[in-house]
Amino acid sequence: MSLLSLTGIKKSFGAVSVLHGVDLNVDAGEVVGLIGDNGAGKSTLMKIVTGIYQADEGSITLNDESVLDLTPGARRARGIEMIYQDLALAKQQDVASNIFLGREPVRNILGVKIVDRGRMKQEAQVMIDRLGAKLPSITRPVGSFSGGQQQSVAIARALTFDPKIVIMDEPTAALAVREVQSVLDLIRQLKSQGISVILISHRLNDVLSVTDRIVVLRQGTAAANLKTSDTSMSEIVSAIVGGGDVAEAAAHEARG
Amino acid sequence: MSKTVKYSTAGLATLAAVAVSVPAHAEEYGILMKTLANPFWGAMGEGVEEGAKNAGVEYYLQAVESDQAAESQLNVCNTMLERKPVAMITAAINSTNLLPCLKKAQDQGIKVVDLDGNLDPEILAAESIDITFSIGSDNVKAGAQGAEFMVSQLGADAQGPVLVIEGLSGNITGQKRATGFADALKELAPGLEIVASLPGDWDRGKAANITNDILTRNPDLKGIFAANDGMALGAMESVFAAGKGDDVIIIGVDGNSDAVKSIKSGRLTASVAQLPYLVGKQALENVKMAVEGNDVEKQVIVPTLVLTQEVMEAGSEPMLEFVK
Amino acid sequence: MTPTHASSTPGLWSRLQEKSIEQLHIRLESIVVLLGLITLMAILSPYFFSVSNFMNILLATSTIGVLAIAATFVLSSGGLDLSLGSVLGLSGVVGATFAVNLGMPTPVAVLATIGAGALAGLVNGFVITRGFVPAFIVTLGMLGIARGLALVISDGRVIYGLPEWMVFLGQGRPFGVPMPVIIFIVVAIIMHIVLAYTRYGRHTLSIGDNENAARTAGINVEFHRLTLYTLSGGLAGLAGLLFATRINSGDPTAGITYELTAITAAIIGGTNLFGGRGSILGTMIGALIMGVLQNGLNLLAVQSYYQQMAIGGVLVLAVFIDQYQQRQETKV
Repeated sequence: MSLLSLTGIKKSFGAVSVLHGVDLNVDAGEVVGLIGDNGAGKSTLMKIVTGIYQADEGSITLNDESVLDLTPGARRARGIEMIYQDLALAKQQDVASNIFLGREPVRNILGVKIVDRGRMKQEAQVMIDRLGAKLPSITRPVGSFSGGQQQSVAIARALTFDPKIVIMDEPTAALAVREVQSVLDLIRQLKSQGISVILISHRLNDVLSVTDRIVVLRQGTAAANLKTSDTSMSEIVSAIVGGGDVAEAAAHEARG
Repeated sequence: MSKTVKYSTAGLATLAAVAVSVPAHAEEYGILMKTLANPFWGAMGEGVEEGAKNAGVEYYLQAVESDQAAESQLNVCNTMLERKPVAMITAAINSTNLLPCLKKAQDQGIKVVDLDGNLDPEILAAESIDITFSIGSDNVKAGAQGAEFMVSQLGADAQGPVLVIEGLSGNITGQKRATGFADALKELAPGLEIVASLPGDWDRGKAANITNDILTRNPDLKGIFAANDGMALGAMESVFAAGKGDDVIIIGVDGNSDAVKSIKSGRLTASVAQLPYLVGKQALENVKMAVEGNDVEKQVIVPTLVLTQEVMEAGSEPMLEFVK
Repeated sequence: MTPTHASSTPGLWSRLQEKSIEQLHIRLESIVVLLGLITLMAILSPYFFSVSNFMNILLATSTIGVLAIAATFVLSSGGLDLSLGSVLGLSGVVGATFAVNLGMPTPVAVLATIGAGALAGLVNGFVITRGFVPAFIVTLGMLGIARGLALVISDGRVIYGLPEWMVFLGQGRPFGVPMPVIIFIVVAIIMHIVLAYTRYGRHTLSIGDNENAARTAGINVEFHRLTLYTLSGGLAGLAGLLFATRINSGDPTAGITYELTAITAAIIGGTNLFGGRGSILGTMIGALIMGVLQNGLNLLAVQSYYQQMAIGGVLVLAVFIDQYQQRQETKV
C-alpha cells in the first residue's frame, strides 16, 4: 500500500502547461529520487504536494485519505514535511532556537511565559542524537556551521514534526565532497526509522546510492519509474534527455 | 586579544585606586555656553575668558554641540557641578532646560549667573531660583534701535512695505527683537507697513527664500529687518540678485564679522551690534565682585550699537573696540 | 557540555564568554570596555568616582537609554525607526498640552504622552506592513511629520509649568535616586526579559535573521512588525515623558537627532544593524559606554567637538571588534 499517492496531476500557469498528468507513489519507508532537467516540473509537483500550489486536476492521498483540500499547515500536521534548498534557517540563532522556531516551549514564571531554554536544548539534543549528526555545539549560531551541519539541523527540525514523509530539495547541491556522505547517511537514518523521503537532486550519483526507486520527470510527465537496483546511469540519463546524445551525457555523469 | 584586555583592565584598576587622592582645584568658575560654533557665542566665550584672566580666577568653560542640544546642555551642567565651582555662568539654550541644574547649584550655594538673558524671571520665581544677576543686551531695545535707524533713513512720513524676518519659531530672543522693531516702527513711522513677519529659523538660505517671495509680491519693498545678521545677509543676497540693492534698507542684529565686512563694502545697510565680548567680560567681572561679597546689580544691560558704514569710517565710537 | 562538543578544551575566558552569551545575551568584551573606561576616567579626573557623579551619568543616559531600547527591538527585527527623536518631541508636547493647556490630571497626561508616541508608531507600522513602503522611507517621513506636528501644537513655543506629580517623574529623588533613572532601569529590565527570554523576543530576532524562515515557522511576520513599531513609538513616548518632566516643560525641539544616538548605543552594544542579533542589556552597556565617555570628557573640560569625535570613533571600533570576533568564530 502506498503512503503517498499522486494520480493524474495537471497544472498550468496561464497558457503555460507545466504538468500534464503525473502519477507518483511512495511507500512507507521508501526513498524515491525525483529527477529531471531544469523546467521538468519537479518543484511545481512538490509544491502541489505540500499545498503551496493547487493542482488543476488529479488526486493526492496520504494513507488513502485525500489531502487536496487541506492547507499547507494542515498537510504538515498530517506528516508531509518539506526541506527547502535554502533550509529556512535563522543563521544567527542557535540550534535549539531554530528547531523550535515558532513553537518554543514555555514555562510560567510569576505569570510571565518564559521560553524554557533548558527543555529546548535537551529536546534539540535528542533530535540531533537520533539523527546521529555531528555538531560542534548546539548553543552556537547555526551560521557558524558547515553546509552539511546546517542540513542536519534542518532535518532535525523536520523530525520534531513527526513526519511520515520528508521532501528534500537538492540537499547535497552546495556541499563539500566529504559532507555529501554524511547527508546521505542522514537520509538512510530517516528511512531506517520508517520515514519516507522524496529526494530532488541533480547529483545522479547521490540519487543512485541512496534511493530505492527513481522517478524521472520530463516535460511535465513521469517519463520513467525505475527500481534503483535494476537501473544504470545511462538508462537514467536517457530518460532525462529523452534520446539524442545519450552516450556522451551518460559518460559525463559517470565521470562526475 | 581578549587576554590583553583583561590584564590592562586589572592594571587600570590599580592605577585608579592611586588616582583618587589627587586634590581638587581651589575656587573655580564654571562657564556653560550654548555652542562655540556660532561666532556670537564664540565672542562671548572669549570675553568671559579674557575677564577671567584679568581677574586672575580659575575657570573652566564647556559648550554643547549645537544650540538645539537642550538636554545635552542640562547633562553637562549637572556634570560641571561635580567640580564644585563657586559660580556658574550659564547661557541657557532655552528658558527651561537648565532649571533642575540651576536649582541644584543654588542648593549647593553656588552663585548662578544668567548670561545673555535667556532665563525668564517669572519661571525662575515659580521654581524659586534666585539668580545672582542677569547680564545681556536688551533685545527689545535692539529691535527698536533698528526701527529708529530705518526711520532715520526713510523719514517719519515714509510710506511702503517692510519685511520682518524672525528667528527660530518660539525662540524668545528672536521674538523680542522682532516685536521691539515692530512696535517702534509703528510709533515712529506709521506709514511703513509690515507686510510679512516670518520665521527664518536663523537660517541664511531660508531668509533669502523668504525675501525672494516677498519681493515678488511687494516689488516696492522699502526695508527688511532680520533678527540676526546671518539672515540679514541672506536677505541681502536676494535683494541684490533682484537688482534692488540701492532701494531696500537691510538691517540685521549682532554685528558679527561677516556683517561688519558687508557693511564696510556698502552692501548690508546696518547691524544693531550686540557686544557679546563685552557681555562676557563684564559678566565675569561682576560675578567676581559677587563672590567676594559685594552687592551687584540684578539686571545688567550692556548697550547695543547701530553699526553703519558711516559709523565705522568715522571710527570715533568708543564701543567699536568691542566689535569683533 | 554535550557529547557532540568537538572543539578542544576551551579556556576560562571562552567558557565565561559562552555562559555570558547563553545566559545574559551579552558579550564580555563590552563589559570589559565599560569597566576599562570607568577606570580610565577615575584616573584622569578626581571628580569622576563618586555616587553623585554616577547618578549624573545614569540620569544623562536615561532618555537616550529608553530610546535605545526601542531602537534595539526594531533593529534586531531587521527594521529601522528614524522617527524616534521626533516622536519623543511630539509626545512631550502632547503631554504638556494635556497637563498645562487642558488641565488634565497627571495620570491622563502621562497616558497621553506615551499614547501619542504609540500612535505615531502604530501609523509607522501600519504603512510599513500594509502599504509595503520601506521602513526607512516611512519613518523618515514620520520624522518630519511628528516634528512639524509638535511645532504646530505648541505654536513653536516651550510649554512650561507641568503639574507637581508629573514633575516628580522627572525631578523626584526617592532614596536619592532620580526618578528617570528608576523608570529607565525598570523598563530596561522588563524589556531585556521580553527580548531575551520570551517567545515575542525570540520571534523578533528570528524575523530579523531570516524573515522567510520565520514565516515558514508560522509566525505572523506582518502583525509582529506592526506591534514592534507600536512598541518603539510607545517607548519614544516614554522617553518624551522623561525629557519633558525633567525640564518641567514640553519642548517642541526636544530630541533632534536622538534617533541616531539611540541607534549608535544599540550598535555599540552589539545589535546587528541588519537584524537577527540584539540584547537590551548589551544596549544598556553601549549607552553607558557613551554616557561615561561624555561625562568623563565633560569633567575634563574637553570641548564638545572632540566628544563627538570620540563617540564616532567608539562606534566604528565596536563594530570592527564585533566583526573580527564573528570572523574568528565562523572559522570552524
